[in-house]
Amino acid sequence: MKGFLQYIPGNSILHQLSPITKLALSVLLCACAFLSSSILYISFLLLLVLGLSAMSGIGRSALQIFSLLLKLSLILFLAQIFFIREGDVLVRLPLNLFITDEGLAFAILIALRLMLSALPLALIITVTPMSDLAGAMVQKLRIPYKYAFALTTAIRFIPIFSTEISEIIEAQRARGVNFDTKNIFKKIRLILPLCLPLLVSSIKKTEYIALSAEMRGFALRNRKSGYKSYAFKGRDLIALLAGVFIIAASLLINLP
Amino acid sequence: MIKFENFSFTYPDAPAPALKNINLEIQKGAFLGIIGPSGAGKSTLTYAINGAIPHYYQGVCQGQVMVDGIDVFDSTPETISLKVGSVFGDVESFFVASVVEEEILFGLENFNIPRSEIEGRITSALDAVGISELRYRSISSLSGGQKQKVAISAAIALRPQILLLDEPTSELDPQSSRQIFSLLRTLNKSNGMTIVVVEQKIMLLCEYVDRLTVINDGEIYSTGSVRDVLSTPSKLEKIGVNCPRVTTLSSKLAAAGLTNEPVALNLNEAESMVRRIIRDYIR
Repeated sequence: MKGFLQYIPGNSILHQLSPITKLALSVLLCACAFLSSSILYISFLLLLVLGLSAMSGIGRSALQIFSLLLKLSLILFLAQIFFIREGDVLVRLPLNLFITDEGLAFAILIALRLMLSALPLALIITVTPMSDLAGAMVQKLRIPYKYAFALTTAIRFIPIFSTEISEIIEAQRARGVNFDTKNIFKKIRLILPLCLPLLVSSIKKTEYIALSAEMRGFALRNRKSGYKSYAFKGRDLIALLAGVFIIAASLLINLP
Repeated sequence: MIKFENFSFTYPDAPAPALKNINLEIQKGAFLGIIGPSGAGKSTLTYAINGAIPHYYQGVCQGQVMVDGIDVFDSTPETISLKVGSVFGDVESFFVASVVEEEILFGLENFNIPRSEIEGRITSALDAVGISELRYRSISSLSGGQKQKVAISAAIALRPQILLLDEPTSELDPQSSRQIFSLLRTLNKSNGMTIVVVEQKIMLLCEYVDRLTVINDGEIYSTGSVRDVLSTPSKLEKIGVNCPRVTTLSSKLAAAGLTNEPVALNLNEAESMVRRIIRDYIR
């Protein structure tokens, strides 16, 4: 999980787009996920996102996030599939459970929707420095810096936490705790006690960051303090047009 | 510039005060080293200067701390931040950005430094600590020593009147440690920056700082010029501060009645002292 949800420097088109464009595009893709009810179209968009990431040199982390989302959607898939009783029965199971063709299609759709709505937003983190995201939100969206800073710091904490928890696990392992168990309940029982040290260290860390920010004049900042400007360029316009095209296509495909 | 008057501080729920009745005056343009055994209160002393006490560490305070004519307890953290730059001990926990450049930019933006000046400030701050090539690297990919250099560079980019460093070279190799200390000397001598540095490497301190303060058990054990403070190595060793070997040697020679010169602070001084003693002995 090293490098998970972490900024990966690069020079690709995805890196160069304005942070606002990237935000807008992921919101558009998220909207497509819920507007479209075509499994084929949503799968196409997912592949498009994965392909674009691969071209931008973030294929590995895109796949990492994708496989995590896949696991999450599997739970959603299983929850859905038994509850839809309309349609032709495909498989009969004991306990009066059965899977219908409509149920299967709907469960797949829901799973794909979850993946498409979360993947682009998660990918922004790997192609945008957090301070650029904050800066652009302050400049263009007029969000107060305090909130932008809180949001970006929260995102920045994800990889820090994942390193921290693996450090705690290593420390426990060195003292003889065996985490390599196949039994999921046993594993949860082993990991649960680690949440307390993680919580303590993360609260400490937030205090340190607050202290460090205050010591460097955080309170003096105003909206004009940002050094970088995030002007929209031609490529941003093209990207947004592509986004509009994608959303229009999702509506058109839905028409009977 | 900095003045402690009968200052005491007790952390919440702590059985004993971390600092007891501190009286210390640091002149403008001073280059002061602070040394002492671990748990003596060195870091707590730095917190009292940069306003972390009382704004973050709320405990029981007595006395007064003045920084450049401002009472730290009556002012806000941002007022102090304009005067005091801090490099904390555990640099890792104090980064606010994920890329080196952003970390340095953070303070500059907050201080509303004019746009035209910012680029120059960033490059010179990176150059000064010798990490220009790290500018666009993500901080999590750096080594401990590189992270320390980033933190130092972020602090000096703001050009504070007072620079406060808590063990800035704890993870650096000997050569980089020297580089940092000679940078501090330049900032002190040419820019007139007042520098207070907590450091365990006493040899470095002896070589670079002008004055030394020894803290033990929350109290100032001794303070003065480097030579005065180190004149009694045996006493310092009792409280857990190791003096440079040359100092220990020269004070032992003096104790044996072989010389009445002040203690030697570096190898050259020690060498000439020993040469003189041998010459006198032969005569």
